[in-house]
Amino acid sequence: MSTWATESAMQTPVLQINSLSAFYGELRAIHDINLTLHRGDVLAIIGANGAGKSTLLRSLSGLMTHGSRSHLRGSIELFGERAETWRPEEIVNAGFALVPEGRRLFTRMTVEDNLLAGAYLPRCRPLIPQRLEEIYTLFPRLRERRQQVVSQMSGGEQQMVSIGRALMSSPSLIAFDELSLGLSPAMVDEIYQNLRRIITQGTTAIIIEQDLKRALSSCTRFCVMLEGSIVLEGKPGEVSEDDITAAYFGTMKENGDD
Amino acid sequence: MTDDMYWFAIDLLNGILSGAMLGGYYALISVGLALNFGVMKLVNLSHGDWLIVAAYLCVTMLTATGLAPFWAPLVVVPIMYCIGYGVQRGLLNHVSSHAAERRNLPPVYGLMLPLLVTFGLSIVLSQGMLIVFSADAATIRNQWSYSAIRLSPDLSISTLKFGFFIAAAVLLAGLATWLKRTHIGRAIRAASDDPEIAALMGMRTTHIYAVASGVALASASIAGFMIGMSRSFQPFDGAPFLLLAFGVVILGGLGSVFGSLIGGVVLGIVQVLAGTYFGPAAQQVAGYLLILLVLAVRPQGLLARK
Repeated sequence: MSTWATESAMQTPVLQINSLSAFYGELRAIHDINLTLHRGDVLAIIGANGAGKSTLLRSLSGLMTHGSRSHLRGSIELFGERAETWRPEEIVNAGFALVPEGRRLFTRMTVEDNLLAGAYLPRCRPLIPQRLEEIYTLFPRLRERRQQVVSQMSGGEQQMVSIGRALMSSPSLIAFDELSLGLSPAMVDEIYQNLRRIITQGTTAIIIEQDLKRALSSCTRFCVMLEGSIVLEGKPGEVSEDDITAAYFGTMKENGDD
Repeated sequence: MTDDMYWFAIDLLNGILSGAMLGGYYALISVGLALNFGVMKLVNLSHGDWLIVAAYLCVTMLTATGLAPFWAPLVVVPIMYCIGYGVQRGLLNHVSSHAAERRNLPPVYGLMLPLLVTFGLSIVLSQGMLIVFSADAATIRNQWSYSAIRLSPDLSISTLKFGFFIAAAVLLAGLATWLKRTHIGRAIRAASDDPEIAALMGMRTTHIYAVASGVALASASIAGFMIGMSRSFQPFDGAPFLLLAFGVVILGGLGSVFGSLIGGVVLGIVQVLAGTYFGPAAQQVAGYLLILLVLAVRPQGLLARK
C-alpha cells in the first residue's frame, strides 16, 4: 500500500548523525560524519586501521562524551532523541548495544554471569529467561559451558559470549566491532551465519569489518571511511568492488559528481 | 602418652582453636578493605578509623537507649552503609585512579590521590572522634567478655570469639553469595573487571562503587561492634587495625571475600601459637614476619591461582 510506504519513509530514523566530529585531546579522530539509519538497515562500515571506525562506535555508545580526554562536536539522534551528551548507561537503556572490539568480556566471570551482566538494566530483567534461551539456542555451545569461566574459552566462544551479552539488553540497534579479528575462518563463518539470524529478526545493525567480501555480503548498505571521514557510501552491488577498494586505500579518483 | 606430649598437644590444639576463632574476627575487620581494593583498586587508609567510628556509634547508641548490646549493629550497620555510600559518591569517586585518568592527570596522581585523600580522611576521623568522644577508653559492657566454652577439662574457647567466628563465617558467606548471585553483586564484579564495558551494560559505575563502599563500611561496623565487645578502644586505635587488615588481605590475596577468612584464620593461628610458645611479645612479630614471608614468596596471596 502506498500510504503504508509513505508512513514507513516518514518513520523516525533509528539513528541520525549530523556533522559529527570526535576528538582525543587536540586530535580529531573523525570529522563531519553524516549518517542516517532506518529500521532494518544493516550498515557495514569499511575502512583500514585508524580510519575512525571504532571511534565512531565509541562516540555512539557514549564513551567519548564524558571525560576531558575526548569530546564530540555535532549531533547524534537515537530513536528520535538527541543523544550526544548521554552517558553509556542511558544509551544502552535507550536500546543501543555494542559488541566491542576485542570482545572485552568480564574475564573472571562465567559465561552465564557475563550474559546476565548484559541484562543489568531493570527493563531487561523480566526478559532474562526468554533471552537466555534464545542465546543458548543460537549458540548451543554456550549452553554446555555456561558455568565455565570465560578466560578459559577459545576466542570464537568468547566472541559468542560477547554477542550474547549485547543481545541480553534486547537492543533495537546493535553494533559489531571487528567480529572476525583473531578468529579462525571456520569460526568466522559460524559467527556470521548466526549474525544473519540475529539481523533478520528486524534489528538494525552496524557492522565494522576489515574483510570486504564478508562485509558486503552481510549488509544492506555500506560506507567506506578514510582518515576519519566517510569517503564512499552505497549499496552492495551498486558500486564496483574496485571503486570500494580504491576508496578503502584512499586512491579513489575525484569524479566530481558526488 | 607422656605428660609432656599431652601438654604439647593441648597447647597446640588450644592455639589452633583460639587462633582460628580469632581469625573470624580478623576477617570481618579486613573484608571491607579487601572489597575496596578488589572493586575500586582503592587502598583505603581510613579503614581502621571507620572501625573505631562504628565502635563509638555502638557505644553511644547503647548508652542512649540502654538496650542489650546485640541491638547495636541493627542500628549502626545501616548508618555506616549510608556513610560509606555518601563518602564514595561525594569524595572518593572524584579522586580515584579512574577519575585522575578522566581528568587527564599523570598516572602518579592516580596512585597518590586516593592514598593522600584517605590518609587525610583518617586524620579527620580520629581527630573528630577525639573532639566528640574525648580520649577516654570506651567499651561495650557485656557478660560474655570473660566466659569460655569448655570442650574438655584442658581445652576451651572464648564464648565471644566463638560467636564472632560463627557470625563472621555466616556474614562472609552471605556477602560472597550476594556478590555472586544478585544483579548488583554481579555489577560490582563487572565494574571491578572493566569499568568501561560495565558502563556499556548500563551499569552506573559511580553508583556501583558507592554501593560496594557502603557494604565495606557495613561490614566494618560489625567488626567495630566486635572490637567494642572484646576490648576497650580510643579514638586513635584505628591504625593498628588498619595494619592488621592489610596483613589479612595480603595473606588471603587482595580483594577476595573468602581469602579474607583464610587470611584471618592463618594470621590468628600463627599469632596465638607464637604467643603460646615465645611469649606475648612474639605474637605481633610472628604475624608480621608471616606477612613479610608471604609477600616475598607468594605476593599474590595464599589462595590465588596465578
